[in-house]
Order: sequence, then structure tokens, then C-alpha cells
Amino acid sequence: MMMSNKLPAAGMLLVSVVALNFSAYGQSAQVSDPTSAGKAVFGRANCMGCHKWHGNGGGGYGGDALSLRRTELTREQIIETVGCGRPGTGMPFFVRGAYDEVKCFDMNRQDAGPQMPPEGGTFLRPKDIEAVADYVIAHIKGAGEPTYAECVAFFSSSSRVCDVYKAESQKPDHATANTGKSQ
Amino acid sequence: MERSSGPTKVSTRACLLAVALAAAGAAGVTPVFAADEVNQERLLNVDKEAGNWLHHHQNYAGHRFSTLKEINRDTVKNLKVAWTLHLGGIEPGGIWSHGGLEGTPIAENGFLYVTDGWGSVYKIDAHGGRGALVWKMDPKTDRDWAGAVACCGVDNRGVALWGDLVISHTLDGRLIATKKDSGQVAWQRSVADPDKGEVITGAPLIVKNMAITGVAGAEYGIRGWIAATDLSTQKEVWRTYTIPGKGEPGSETWKDNNNAMAAGGGSTWVTGTYDPATDTIIWGVGNPGPDWDNAYRPGDNLYTDSSLALDADTGKIKWHYQHTPNDPYDYDSVAENVLVDIPGPSGPRKLALEADRNGFAYAIDRTNGKFVWGLPFVKKVTWTKGLDPESGKPIEYDPNKSVQTYIASVTPSRTNMETDICPGNMGGKNWPPTAYNPDLKLWYIPVIESCNRIKVEVMTPDKLKPREFWTGGGPSQPFRITGSVTAIDVTTGKIAGKLETPFPNLGGMLATSDLVFTGQPSGEVMALDAKTLQKLWEFNTGGGVNAPPMTFSVDGKQYLAILVGLGGAWDKWFIDSTPELKKIQPGSMLYVFAL
Ligand code: HEC
Repeated sequence: MMMSNKLPAAGMLLVSVVALNFSAYGQSAQVSDPTSAGKAVFGRANCMGCHKWHGNGGGGYGGDALSLRRTELTREQIIETVGCGRPGTGMPFFVRGAYDEVKCFDMNRQDAGPQMPPEGGTFLRPKDIEAVADYVIAHIKGAGEPTYAECVAFFSSSSRVCDVYKAESQKPDHATANTGKSQ
Repeated sequence: MERSSGPTKVSTRACLLAVALAAAGAAGVTPVFAADEVNQERLLNVDKEAGNWLHHHQNYAGHRFSTLKEINRDTVKNLKVAWTLHLGGIEPGGIWSHGGLEGTPIAENGFLYVTDGWGSVYKIDAHGGRGALVWKMDPKTDRDWAGAVACCGVDNRGVALWGDLVISHTLDGRLIATKKDSGQVAWQRSVADPDKGEVITGAPLIVKNMAITGVAGAEYGIRGWIAATDLSTQKEVWRTYTIPGKGEPGSETWKDNNNAMAAGGGSTWVTGTYDPATDTIIWGVGNPGPDWDNAYRPGDNLYTDSSLALDADTGKIKWHYQHTPNDPYDYDSVAENVLVDIPGPSGPRKLALEADRNGFAYAIDRTNGKFVWGLPFVKKVTWTKGLDPESGKPIEYDPNKSVQTYIASVTPSRTNMETDICPGNMGGKNWPPTAYNPDLKLWYIPVIESCNRIKVEVMTPDKLKPREFWTGGGPSQPFRITGSVTAIDVTTGKIAGKLETPFPNLGGMLATSDLVFTGQPSGEVMALDAKTLQKLWEFNTGGGVNAPPMTFSVDGKQYLAILVGLGGAWDKWFIDSTPELKKIQPGSMLYVFAL
């Protein structure tokens, strides 16, 4: 009864779309601080809703948003992935008209059929997609476990959201504190 | 546990109001009536004040039944909007793009007390046929901190009243007492710790000068608990963990070598009920963690997926009844237990009713925790052939197995890594409350008629990190999900009626003597005939109904009230199963109806 909606491995897909022309996105825009613009997009487009602020993603109710810390994608590939989403997965597309006027992975909506990725909560301009890709490359890709310093750099509020990383760096055996002792 | 108390800043508006009230007092109007003080006597005898709605679940037994009769079978066709009030609280935070409304208003002497998803409390004057905001208490919830570890939305299900205080929770783990007259915070206390993945979404239950708090977080590797706070001393009276400690009874049901028990889940985020005759609190316990990799935690995993009976004074566990041992499906038993007495051959049977995420409705003898009857209330169940008539356990349950597979071909497991199950992991019945009509002995269940697809991720101890998902997989929604209102005749344990609805029931029920009220996430609020479930009245709010209706009276007139604002888990994680609901906008509004 179960219909498989399995796709060819993502890597294969990417290979097949290298020819895709994203040059419409043009040269990097002249932004004074490209990675802080990208950080803003990361929040505004709610990348953090699935990949978390630290980009490590993780399983859970929303399915498996891949770790952008461990991603091996290049800047161009990240731009493609954000623009077109990833067919057959929960990774949404963020470019207006994707799979319609903007061809994605050589497919239109009809070709994609049930593999059609969800539409992002907001559409991003090419410049924003480049900015978020630059941010991912500069601050997330290749980084190890999230740290307190990274967390405070991400959140500019006085939220206690980063405390847990501080606690961790202070007491390395934090995991056992989580077990809770019976009263 | 850290405790923050002492004077808290008062908003200018609250100050002004306090001044205004004092002036009113000076002018000869007594500002505080003894009748406004809520005590145990009043909480035990809510039937004596039918125009009020003092408990989250209306009475200690969780009936959500009103004896008010002005709005009835004959008159309901004339029900119209009396007034509305826009609330706030839809701000984003953490992984959430907006908050929603899941609360049940509390009504006392013509005033309503409601919350928004971030835990702001609103006192509303409902006299004179309109609603006027008296005060708003904004607890300034730490949105990034709490919103990042709220598995299932920016939710708060409401307040309770005690003395001259309004008692409420915040998502970031606080219990707050607000002065009913001024809106000034009297004191607050941290009960749950978001650093451990703990958040609070439920309304408090007040029992004998204690506020009882439940916790959410089984998707984040918490160890669940139920805690009682003394409302005079603000100190913790007891805290009962839903996962036993090493060597305690029940710990033998965690047979692994990973200390899985330490992060075993067992959340308690739906307000429980109380049986004063035996001084027993009955509370539902959620799923074990990791949700879908049950081979990580061999054994029955007590007290997850169980109903727990606790001694109210000590929190000691009197009995437990487990529904889905070694759960591989995320089938919480966190739902409220509804306490009903049914005439039996040898005197009244004292039952606790629970409608479970696993698709079965259960009646347990609440004096001893023994199974009485159980039946599926959803149209489709694929994970088991049914319940054993003696024990109520799923027929395939094998106490000699440490990892249960039930019907193995559909059950998520390390050898069945992607599979479709019915009901889906949202249920069955989720948190939206049932209602019970004690005259007709009918019990109304708000149903999610669902299947969904589960992908398993094999977990290892190194994947357990504070504030990170600990689910062992995740669901997706390749199937359309619908809903129903299903009525069960409690005297026979049989289905008495089912009204199918295009969308899942995400709001819950209210019963009156000849009607039941409920809503749909597509916007409709409706009244059904209590016996036939025939739809008698409907109004489209233009928002998504994600909260239960309630009723109250003021100035001698009956009103129906419901919060409207789709949020919760549905519109983030489950929306693909109900694509039309993508059109529903975030919102935050109180609707009040009258004839
Ligand atoms: C609704 C959830 C969701 C949102 C929002 C989301 N993603 Fe994703 N993303 C996913 C999922 C799920 C995957 C994994 C797809 C797969 O399994 O191949 C993914 C994969 C990716 C990948 C590919 C990683 C790799 O190594 O293959 C990149 C890059 C990415 N996301 C970037 C982003 C950015 C940047 C944003 C914000 C503009 C974003 N995502 C928003 C869910 C989401």
C-alpha cells in the first residue's frame, strides 16, 4: 500500500543540475557586511525554524533538516538548494516562481508532481539568497558543536537561550545534570 | 530549583487601575467581595455557581458540562456574536513563526480571565453585553529561550483562581500569581527549566492551596514530573517524577544499559483532575523518548503512556494504568482523565475515562487502576488488532519481550525504518478536551481521524544533548487527515454516535444539557444536538479554532466564549495533511456569543 516517494540521492540530483544557470543572481551585491545581512535572512526566512539557530538541524517533529554545519555543498549549491528547495524533502523553495517561470532541476511543477518541495514562508530576492549562502559558508559550514560565543553572536537579545552553552563549557559533565535526581 | 520572588515591577497601567479601584472603594463601592475569593469550598461545589467557570476543565471531575439552559436545542439557532476582543501574543520566538490560542477562559462573577500563547493574562469585564479589558499581565516570556524547545507551539491553556490571585504558567517555566483586582504580579517561581528542555503549556490545577503543574519536553530528553506548589509559602510541596529513579519501583521496566530512563520523557502537559472522595489527583503521562526508536529503551518504560493516580498531599503514586507499553508511536496518554460514576450491579462504578492518542478510549476503575472497558473511537487503527478484554493491553503485547512490535508490519522499528501508522502520532485524541454529559451519560471526544508516515532514526547516547530534539525519527504527512466528534455511551462502553468533520478537531468540547459545542481549525464554531450530534448552529469565525468553547452567565444572560487563533503543532508540523488550512492566518481573538 505504501507508495514510496523516495528520490534519487540528493547528491545525484545536484550533479544533474550543475548546468542550471543561476547567474541571474549576478555578482555579489555590495553590502557593507554581507554576513550580518545573511544572518538576518536566516532569521527572517525562518531557516532557524528547521535548521535551528546553529544550523545543526536535527530530527524531530519536522523531519530531518540536514546539518548545515556538516554540509559539503558549495556556495553555488547552497544557492540552488535555497532557491529551489529539495524535491521530495521538507526543504522549501524560496525563490518566487520556482518550478514555474524559474526552472528548477530541469523540472516544472507538473514534472515535480508529488516530489514538489514546499513553498518557503517568505520569498527571497536573489541578493538575499546569496547573502544567506555567504552567511552559511562563513559561520556555519564546517563549524563544530555550537558554542556560547556563537550563540551570543547570533542572538542580540538578553534571552537566556545561550545559557545552556555557557553551562556546558563550564561543566563538561552537563549531560548527567540532565538526568535529574529523584527527590 | 531557583526561585524568584519579591516585589515585581508593576506596569503603569496596572498602577493607574489600582488607583482607580481604590478611588472606587473610597466612593463607597467595596472593591473586594468575600464572594470573589476562591477557596476550596467553592472549587468543590462549582455546581452551586452555574454562571461561573472556575476550573480549567469546569469541575474537578473534568466534565466541561454546564447546566445553563438559556442557550438550548430550541434557541441555539438565534445564537449571534455578542462581542469580540482582539488579544495579542502571536509574536514569533525560537523555532516558531507565531503563537496561537489554546486556552479555556475562566469566568467568575462577570469577569473573564484568558491567556495568550506567550502567557499574558487578560482580565476582561463582561458586564453590560460587551467586553472591556480591565488589565493585562505580560510576563515577558523569554521567547528565544522557551520557543526553541517548545516541541509543539507557543501555547498556554489558561489560568486558575485562588484567593484573590490569578494563577498562571509561562512557556519559560514560571508559575505566576497575579492580583486579581490590580493585575499586579504578587509573586512568581521557576518550576520548570528550559535549559533542560522543559517548558509549560498547561493550566494549573488548584487543590487545597496548592497549584499543580505539569511539564512538556519529552521530545527533548526530559525526565517528566508533576509538581505541587504551596500558594501561601510559594514553596514546593512535592514533585513526583513520571520516570522512576534508579532502584525505585518501575525502574525495572527500563532494561537498557544506556540509562535511557534518565531522559525517558513522560511529559505531563495537560491539566489533570481530582477526586476529593479519595483525595486523589489523576494525571496523564506522555510518550517515552526517543519517541520512535523504542529499541533504545527496552522494557515497558513506566510511567510513560500511563494514567497516574497521586495522593494529593504527598504526590505518592497510588496506582498507574499504562496504555501503550514500550511505545514506538508517540502515543501519549497525556489526556485528561474524566471522572464519572455509573450505576452498576453492586453499587456505583467509579470510573476514570481517557481518550488516548493510540485511538482507544479507556474506562479504568479509579479506586484501584483496573481496566473496565476500552474501544477504538477512531475509524482506522492499524497498529493493533484490539485490546485484551481482561487487561486492556494491546492484544499483541508480550510481557516477555523487551521491545514490543505490536503489528510488526506497520510498527516503526529498527527493521522497519519507514512506515505508515493509523492513528498518526497526533492521535486519536490529542490535548483538546472531551466533555461529559452526566444526565445522558454520554462522553464526547474531539477526534483526529488520521494516519501518517514515520521515519525512524536509530539513537545512540551521544545524540542526547540538552535542548536538542530527542525523537528517534520524525513524522511526515502524505495522507489527508480529517476529524470527528465521537460520542461514547459510558454505561455500555459503546459508540453512540459519530459526526465526521472535514478537518481534525483541534479545539475540544463543551457539553450542556441538550447540546455540545465545538470548533474546526477552518474557522467554524458549531452546536450539535447532544443525542444525535446533528448540527444545529454554526458560525465561521474567519480564524482557526484551536481552543475549547466554554459558557458562563453575567447580568442573568448566558454567553458562549471561545478563543480563536490557529497555532500549536498543527500549522508547523502537520499542515500538509490539511492543505486548505495553509490559508488560515495567525490571529488572536476572543469571540463571545449570546442569543
Ligand atoms: C521547513 C523546514 C526548512 C526550512 C524553513 C529550511 N530548511 Fe533547509 N532543509 C530542510 C530539510 C528537511 C533539509 C534536508 C533535505 C534532504 O533530506 O536532503 C534541508 C536541507 C538544506 C540544505 C542542504 C544541506 C545539504 O548538505 O545537503 C541547505 C543548504 C539548506 N537546507 C539551507 C536552508 C536555508 C539557508 C534556509 C533558509 C532560507 C532553509 N534551509 C530553510 C528543511 C528546511
